[in-house]
Amino acid sequence: MTKPASFKPDDPRVAVASADEPLLTRAELRELEAAEALSLPAVIEPAQKRSRFWSKLFWSAAGGLVSLALGLAVANLVQSLFSYAPWLGWLALALTALAALALFVIAMRELFAIFRLEKIERLQKRAAEVLASDDREEGKAVVAGLLSVARTMPRLAKGRATMENYSRDIIDGADYVRLAERELLSPLDAEARKLVSSAAKRVSLVTAISPRAAVDMLFVLFNTLFLIRKLATLYGGRPGVLGMFRLMRHVISHLALTGGMAVGDSIVQQLLGHGLAAKLSARLGEGVLNGLLTARLGIAAIEVTRPLPFAALPRPTLSDLAGNLLPTKKD
Amino acid sequence: MALNDILEDARLAGRAIADYGSGLVRPTLRLGVTGLSRSGKTIFITALIHALLHGTRLPVFEALTSGRIARVRLSPQPDAAVPRFEYEKHLRDLVDLRRWPESTRAISEIRVEIDYQTKRGAEKTLALDIVDYPGEWLLDLLLLDKTYEQWSAETIALSKLAPRAVLANQWHIHLKSLEPRASADEQHAIHAAKFFTEYLVACRDERFAMNLLPPGRFLMPGDLAGSPAVTFAPLDLPRGDEAPKGSLWAMMAERFESYRANVVRPFFREHFARLDRQIVLADVLAAINSGPEALSDLEQTLSAIAACFNTGRRTLLSSIFKPRADRILFAATKADHLHHLQHDRLENILSRMVARAAERSELAGAKTDAIAMAAIRATREAVVTRGKEKLPAIVGTPLAGERIGNETFDGTKETAVFPGELPELIEGEDREWKFKGLAASGPDETDFRFLKFRPPLLDAAAGGEPALPHIRLDRALQFLTGDRLE
Repeated sequence: MTKPASFKPDDPRVAVASADEPLLTRAELRELEAAEALSLPAVIEPAQKRSRFWSKLFWSAAGGLVSLALGLAVANLVQSLFSYAPWLGWLALALTALAALALFVIAMRELFAIFRLEKIERLQKRAAEVLASDDREEGKAVVAGLLSVARTMPRLAKGRATMENYSRDIIDGADYVRLAERELLSPLDAEARKLVSSAAKRVSLVTAISPRAAVDMLFVLFNTLFLIRKLATLYGGRPGVLGMFRLMRHVISHLALTGGMAVGDSIVQQLLGHGLAAKLSARLGEGVLNGLLTARLGIAAIEVTRPLPFAALPRPTLSDLAGNLLPTKKD
Repeated sequence: MALNDILEDARLAGRAIADYGSGLVRPTLRLGVTGLSRSGKTIFITALIHALLHGTRLPVFEALTSGRIARVRLSPQPDAAVPRFEYEKHLRDLVDLRRWPESTRAISEIRVEIDYQTKRGAEKTLALDIVDYPGEWLLDLLLLDKTYEQWSAETIALSKLAPRAVLANQWHIHLKSLEPRASADEQHAIHAAKFFTEYLVACRDERFAMNLLPPGRFLMPGDLAGSPAVTFAPLDLPRGDEAPKGSLWAMMAERFESYRANVVRPFFREHFARLDRQIVLADVLAAINSGPEALSDLEQTLSAIAACFNTGRRTLLSSIFKPRADRILFAATKADHLHHLQHDRLENILSRMVARAAERSELAGAKTDAIAMAAIRATREAVVTRGKEKLPAIVGTPLAGERIGNETFDGTKETAVFPGELPELIEGEDREWKFKGLAASGPDETDFRFLKFRPPLLDAAAGGEPALPHIRLDRALQFLTGDRLE
């Protein structure tokens, strides 16, 4: 054990600590985490890991074959163009190169978009862990991650400055994450609510007046995709096409996981709302139901795309977002 | 005896009903700041009021950061007979003179009114009543349910343990010369009380840092100095016998009874039986400074005191007839004497010390938490590189006369101090403390040395009142008052 000691402040060995510099090395931190992980309440994860080895193998192999076929077709085309006239061949070659370059850039963008989404998902998971463990260093790391996500959002300038101002104070992990949530996410949450509730309203209106079922189905689909994309962008995700697929999958699995549980709030209201509305008119009832479903999906999308779990701020409820869809006595 | 208890309960219920009535008119939160002497009650109250009044950095205190608190002001206290807490004087001491307030000698009270808006939008006012009192008096609560004979036996048994035995030597010699059955003699009583008090005072020295030293008025008599109520002492009594009439024994027992009836019970009734929230401050670092004996002494004292609290979930019936504190925060004060990387260990030590009290309160439905806190932060943090080691150190101005190793400080120079590394507690391990403190070894050999620092030099350049730095005061406020401001 090291004995207590005192040092003069002008001693060159004394460095007044800066808030950013961790005292422990990475390895030490990991050790600490490992020691603490034993005594922590476990974070429950949905069990969805099943071996998908064969399907993955199939898709990779099939994808390889298709790319080979495409490459062969292009090569053949260029070759035969060369045999017609050399200038045509050169032109085809140049076009191929341009297409390859563009494809590469698109692929990189998609990749970055997926990275961004993954970063946000990881952030959410880590934040949930910090809320349970109250770990100070990890909480700081989560907030730093959140700040880096928020750097591109002009409306958070004030919140960012406030958080940076607090970075030297001694605040425990869970409190720090809650503070960051209040400072940084409340404007975004308000915007997200607006997005979801206006999407729900739009859907219910279009369903009520649309002449054919096919039209409103298409509309609902596009509206939903658009909503998820907007929410993800709002919370710093900016998904590409592949990212959208990924997000859709997560939102739907989240909905499946939590949808059944929200008994008190939603089901009663849905049935009641639907029942009342259906009495007025079948179309209107369908409209309300579609609107409610959109709002449900919107809530799930918020929970998936939000970089922190809901802890300090209230979770949006169906009645917040879709309350105005239900017929009330006023009308 | 039994009649007395019933009367006492009736009085308590009467008070509670009156409080409940006035609480309907004006919502009030009675915050009990509980702590032994030198644990930092006065400083905590001063810092808390200052932070509320000036709205300084309290990021975790949600109502303030989210802007729902419109105004905070000091207002006249409800009890006209109790002096006002000298907030302004204590603040001047801290900020202008850079010295800690003197130890509290008498009870005082203050009320803070908070105008706030609830989360739903209603405009309300919450009155926060805070009482300050000498920490020594808290020890009296341990006598609430004891007879003179019990107390005598316990006190004498305790005084024969190390390290108290050495300090009690003089008193023990005098004790042997007393014959309990001899006829009562005022001079004997005065001498016995004198030796006994000297023993208590010696135990309290920084080197030994003992706390379990009832009765409290012997250490801080207030306006009772010299009165018969504090002129008694334990006697070496034969077991299972009655006090003969007119004997020294009977006189002492009678005085003990009157001490309980006239000092302890009113104190409990006025200030402890009707609290809504409790914060228990403990100077764990001073005990660690002294050694394992002081630490286990502090543990015993805290759990004995906590056993006197009324805690549990509030119900309508309980709030009308028998108020209970529904949130209790245990706080290890002076956390600024440590680098923040060690705060978790300090919290763990405190949690283990109060584990039983906390469990009991939680079973009754109260919420508890344990934190390391500094109401006023007197140091900054630094890293010292020594050879290959990186020592987490703190920088502050030690009080004049403080020593570490062979260096003595003059109270003006800033110094970086590495106070030692707190032991890590592992869940389920036995509770033996093994380290060397001041009580058992020389000042150069201790494993820890927590110096006392002067209050921080504040930067008032921005004009107006400077903000007082703190550690986790905001977390304490959030825990204690946050839910009432929602």
